[in-house]
Amino acid sequence: MRALSPALLAALLPLAPASTHATTEFNRDIRPILTKHCTACHGGVKAAGGVSFIYRDKALASGKSGERTIVPGQPEASELIRRITSSDPDEVMPKPDHGPRLSPADTATLRQWIADGAPWSEHWSLIPPATPPAPSVSRSDWPRQPLDAFVLARLEAENLTPSPDATPAAWLRRVSLDLTGLPPSEDDWQTFAADFATHPQTARTKAVDRLLASPAYGEHWAALWLDLARYSDTYGFEKDPHREIWPWRDWVVRAFNADLPFDQFTIRQLAGDLLPNPSNDDLLATAFHRNTQNNSEGGTDDEEWRDTAVHDRVNTTWTVWQATTFACVQCHAHPYDPFPHEDYYRFKAFFNSTEDCDQNDDFPRFTVSPNPQAATLFQKTNQLLREITDAGTAACRAVPDWNPLKPSAATASGGQLTIAADGTITAAGTMPIGVSYEISLPAPKGLTALRLRILPDSSDPTAWPEKGCMITECTMAASAGNDSPSPVPIAEVIADHQSGPYRPLALAGGGDLAGFGGYPVLEGPRWAVFVLTTPLAANATLKVTLKHNAPVNSGFQGTPTRHFACDGTTTPLASPERQQLISAWRATRKAYAELKGPAVPILTERPAPRETRLYARGNRLSREAAQPAAWPATLGPPPEKPNRLAMAQWLVSDRNPLTARVTANRFWAALFGRGIVETLEDFGSSGALPSNQPLLDHLALRLSSHHRWSLKSFLRELALSATYAQSSSAAPTLVARDPANTLLARGPRQRLTAEMIRDHALAISGLLSRKSAGPPVFPPQPEGVWSSVYSGARWETSTGEDRYRRALYTYAKRTSGYPGFLAFDAPARDLCTPRRLPTNTPLQALVTLNDPAFLEMAAALASRVASTSTSPRDQIARAVALITLEPPPEETVIPLVQLYDAALAAYRQNPSEATQLAASPEAAALTLVANTLLNSDFALNR
Amino acid sequence: MNHRDLLLTPTRRHFLRNCPLGLAALWLGSRSHASAPATPGHDPAQPLRANPPHFPARAKRVIYLHMAGSPSQLELFDHKPDLARLDGRDCPPSFLAGKQFAFIQGIPKMLGNQYPFQQHGQSGQWLSDRLPFLAKSADDLCIVKSMHTDQFNHGPAQLVMHTGTATPGAASFGAWSTYGLGSENDNLPGFIVLTSGGKNPDAGKSVWGSGYLPGVFQGVQCRSSGEPVLFLKDPKGIDRQLRRLSLDALATINAHTAAETGDPETMTRIAQYEMAFRMQLAATDAFNLSSEPQEVHDLYGTQPGRESFANNCLLARRLAERGVRFIQLFDWGWDSHGAGREEALNHGFKDKCRSIDQPCHALLTDLRRRGLLDDTLVIWGGEFGRTPMRENRGGREMSFIGRDHNPSAFTIWMAGGGARPGYSHGATDELGYEAIIDKVSPHDFHATVLALLGFDHLRFTYPLNGVPLRLTNVAKPGSKVIKPLMA
Repeated sequence: MRALSPALLAALLPLAPASTHATTEFNRDIRPILTKHCTACHGGVKAAGGVSFIYRDKALASGKSGERTIVPGQPEASELIRRITSSDPDEVMPKPDHGPRLSPADTATLRQWIADGAPWSEHWSLIPPATPPAPSVSRSDWPRQPLDAFVLARLEAENLTPSPDATPAAWLRRVSLDLTGLPPSEDDWQTFAADFATHPQTARTKAVDRLLASPAYGEHWAALWLDLARYSDTYGFEKDPHREIWPWRDWVVRAFNADLPFDQFTIRQLAGDLLPNPSNDDLLATAFHRNTQNNSEGGTDDEEWRDTAVHDRVNTTWTVWQATTFACVQCHAHPYDPFPHEDYYRFKAFFNSTEDCDQNDDFPRFTVSPNPQAATLFQKTNQLLREITDAGTAACRAVPDWNPLKPSAATASGGQLTIAADGTITAAGTMPIGVSYEISLPAPKGLTALRLRILPDSSDPTAWPEKGCMITECTMAASAGNDSPSPVPIAEVIADHQSGPYRPLALAGGGDLAGFGGYPVLEGPRWAVFVLTTPLAANATLKVTLKHNAPVNSGFQGTPTRHFACDGTTTPLASPERQQLISAWRATRKAYAELKGPAVPILTERPAPRETRLYARGNRLSREAAQPAAWPATLGPPPEKPNRLAMAQWLVSDRNPLTARVTANRFWAALFGRGIVETLEDFGSSGALPSNQPLLDHLALRLSSHHRWSLKSFLRELALSATYAQSSSAAPTLVARDPANTLLARGPRQRLTAEMIRDHALAISGLLSRKSAGPPVFPPQPEGVWSSVYSGARWETSTGEDRYRRALYTYAKRTSGYPGFLAFDAPARDLCTPRRLPTNTPLQALVTLNDPAFLEMAAALASRVASTSTSPRDQIARAVALITLEPPPEETVIPLVQLYDAALAAYRQNPSEATQLAASPEAAALTLVANTLLNSDFALNR
Repeated sequence: MNHRDLLLTPTRRHFLRNCPLGLAALWLGSRSHASAPATPGHDPAQPLRANPPHFPARAKRVIYLHMAGSPSQLELFDHKPDLARLDGRDCPPSFLAGKQFAFIQGIPKMLGNQYPFQQHGQSGQWLSDRLPFLAKSADDLCIVKSMHTDQFNHGPAQLVMHTGTATPGAASFGAWSTYGLGSENDNLPGFIVLTSGGKNPDAGKSVWGSGYLPGVFQGVQCRSSGEPVLFLKDPKGIDRQLRRLSLDALATINAHTAAETGDPETMTRIAQYEMAFRMQLAATDAFNLSSEPQEVHDLYGTQPGRESFANNCLLARRLAERGVRFIQLFDWGWDSHGAGREEALNHGFKDKCRSIDQPCHALLTDLRRRGLLDDTLVIWGGEFGRTPMRENRGGREMSFIGRDHNPSAFTIWMAGGGARPGYSHGATDELGYEAIIDKVSPHDFHATVLALLGFDHLRFTYPLNGVPLRLTNVAKPGSKVIKPLMA
């Protein structure tokens, strides 16, 4: 059909691919048919009858029936064709209860494709973008930017012409809101109008450059990024307590304003901690992935929620940078795209070894201090710790005479300890938080050190991690014969590694967060060596006291050591060099601890990586083979040094086919209201196809190569394009032809975002505070909206200018969002939100009509215009012009003047009613008009 | 229906119903819906239009009474004489192996039923003496004693009960219901949420969120004291007449904008402002409890103007009468750990029982006498159960009596709407610790309630990123309709 009657097809389906084709193209013509009708059963998850259409070699092979599914060049020998055309209900595909038969057109297309040799290609988005040929257009005077030619070529192919330019006022309002989230001021407009009168394009350029340089630019684009990052000022879940992470939000604003190139923006957020000599900002940037929820509800399993957060990081990374529904691969191979099940856990391994572990204090945190040395001190403490551990563990491994010390007695303050024949101690029974053990060890004269080995309950590594065990205090005393015991001081504690919130090192000589073991879970066997200050003078009974006072799961579960053994040595282990390192570590730690500033959760890498295992069917409790860190093989060879930094660099390298396209598409959609790929979040087989792939590829390469990832340069090009400059007005015929404006024959018209609704009304009314950065604020909100369980948090309405700050700075609480924002489609930020779907509901009307915050803005707008004229008509016209910039048409002014007159009459009759709204009947009437005006469609749109 | 069609059109809602005829025709001309909807009757252009389900429904609407915190089944419905005999003894180790508790440490003591049980009605349903009013409705109840879940903390467990998924971000039961069935009232939201007990549920607003479904399907939280819907009241100094004039002026200038821009969305906006205006009256009227006669207040034990579960039950009846599809109540304060007087089984729990017993009975009685019980499904329950062991926080005996969270067994009941009356389903072991006979998971429960609403849960899906998502969680296969629960 397609090949036979192009004219008919074009008439019926104006939005189908621009022209029709004598031969088929796999991605354009074939894959959509297979995805729609076949791959649900014959795909990555399920390959019913042994048939799968995800990879060519499988599609060309024989299914269980023994018949070859596709025989290139021979449609009639292909089982596929036989089955889709069969009239036998037992044979026909799709099965009648699975779906409708393929249309004759689809069948013909498949036949044609097989006849052509069944050429296969990777899904379009997995093939790196190549520079598309420059399109030839007849209206060569129309394009102002290279992108315009791609748009125009498509319009000309569709026999459409671009719309005329929007009025200067409409364009300035649109571009100001799109680039800064704020409407133009009267001065902005006057300047622009004067410039425009002589040199329109110069005027536009000047305006765009001014907007890009405005501090409001970063505040506006940060809002988009905060949705992706699932930014919130709280942890989420039951108690939803406060999280101090706003300094990261301010970093995002600064990064946009400084035009940090998007590749650097990416690398710093995903792996800033792994850069050489990271700056304070590099560490702070990694808070991007600490916006995951943290479950602080009493008794929750820290490891379960740590794991959930890591999966969220994987899923979010794939959504934001790759627009790939990678979350599917968590439980099984991707149903439509070429990602096997293992790919998920290989990628997870990049993220699985960060220090954070769902602790109530959001450990680890970084003190965001004005002191530029903060990051250096932070890194230095970790570096020294590694050096101390490396030196200590090397010394311990070199000891030739680790001999088992078999306990003669072992008692516990709760529960029971038993000693096995080999000297291993096992704990059972009720072990309260803080449980203390006392172990008696017959020890030889000259003992220099005691080694304590914690053993997992299971010898099967797939059963790990196990419940946590954490020794937070260790003291020793020795008694020979009947002597009373004398203390045996510990000089140093060397542990196999120093990961997690507790420091084995601090068990000697004190210090907060001293502890050795597995916390919050035991990842596998552990050992620590307690070096005595002086070797034992004689054979003695060593009494070792171990305390466990580090409860997990929000403080409700104890962490007793359940299974352990002791060894001793007489080899000297003390080392002055290590003591020097330890002193340096203590000094650095002290210097860091003295820094002042908000402590923000960040990513740091554990010295001991966690094993990442495949979860059968995505079930965390069914752990299978360990997986090495890697990105999907489909997308390129594995990294030499597989870590988060390599992964982040790969994402923004030219080897990655997706990042530039996905990013260009996202920023395009923000200006044009719709992506070139409409599914901003899915570039896979189940997502939408690009409406204009040459345009998308052109933009992707402009962004990554030409503009070297400068978003300001990229947005400048979009904003100065002829495509963007078009009027958004559309004749009914054009609306009918292209309701969603896919072809771009007119300019964009979008409803203001939730943030803009507030900021715009504040700006028009003159109340807006331009104060930037700092802790979140509390604009007026109805009583009783905040009422989380087990939380004393209260909404204390901000005073002074904080009452009128931009929406970006409003306190964001996950379980109870700001009502005015939620009504206008702002997400709760539980998870990454790649796209807000704009709605149009009566509840929105109630917000902008009745919310006291909006009434306050209406009153301010009324008094702003009241002072400029004594004529109500002029006051109203000016109020309209504050929004639309131009003198308003009579059609707008007359109904508002009539409203004013009617309201004035009513208020004069009933002055007490007026005083509830304003000081005089006149002011009340004008406030009602301003309230109405702020609800007008032209105020709510751009 | 192709989901992208839906994504493209959420802004068109109500347009056809509410806008002037000529403009509707113009707008209609601009749309073509070629693809068939996956949900019968569902039209993305009119997402809240009342729709028929897959097959004839037993229930047209749902009133779901969620006792947030999870009431003890062992003090209300699950009568365990054997447990009483073990009261005060150490818990057998076999009960503790491999179990994870929120608060219990080491070896706790067993705790018998704290209140006497008795059989009630023709059906002989077992209820404790804490529910004397509800006992009179025993023959209406379909009690499920074999519920079990896989989450032992409130937030995730509530999410499982309401969205089928333990993490926030999935669509809630009420959102699914309004997505599938639309609303029967143009002037009220189709999915209304009421809370009592002074707090929102632990999992926050995601338990009534729309998740991946369009935002129009999310629950609208209404308040039983003060303004029922946020910003419903006209501001002080703007009365109804002035608001009418203001909306007339607004419609005139917006119509001018629509003519200039040709943007169909502008006409939708005019219609939405009109609906908001009507909703102000309709919702105010629906929430005006003082219009009820004293006899009704006596039945429920309601006091207008107070936030209470009783008031919310009466509101639920009024909303059901007005065609609201899904009415979700949350009553906070059932987390009877015994860590303090308020949450002790021997103190605060008694007060909580008193506060819901009469209203639950009244709601069933009132729905019945108004002929609404047959097609209104009432559901009562928490998010998990409580342990047959006494909580011993920190490994020590506590001064008040309480029980820890128990995901392995809990009780819910249903009434009306095609639920089998006077029936008790499933059983726990002799100590009430684990559901063992005819176990029902939250997903089975969802599948069953969807069946009562006329949906095949396997076919009632929403395609997202290529996956046909459903309330009964595609990642947890095997959920099934429990036919014996249906009358």
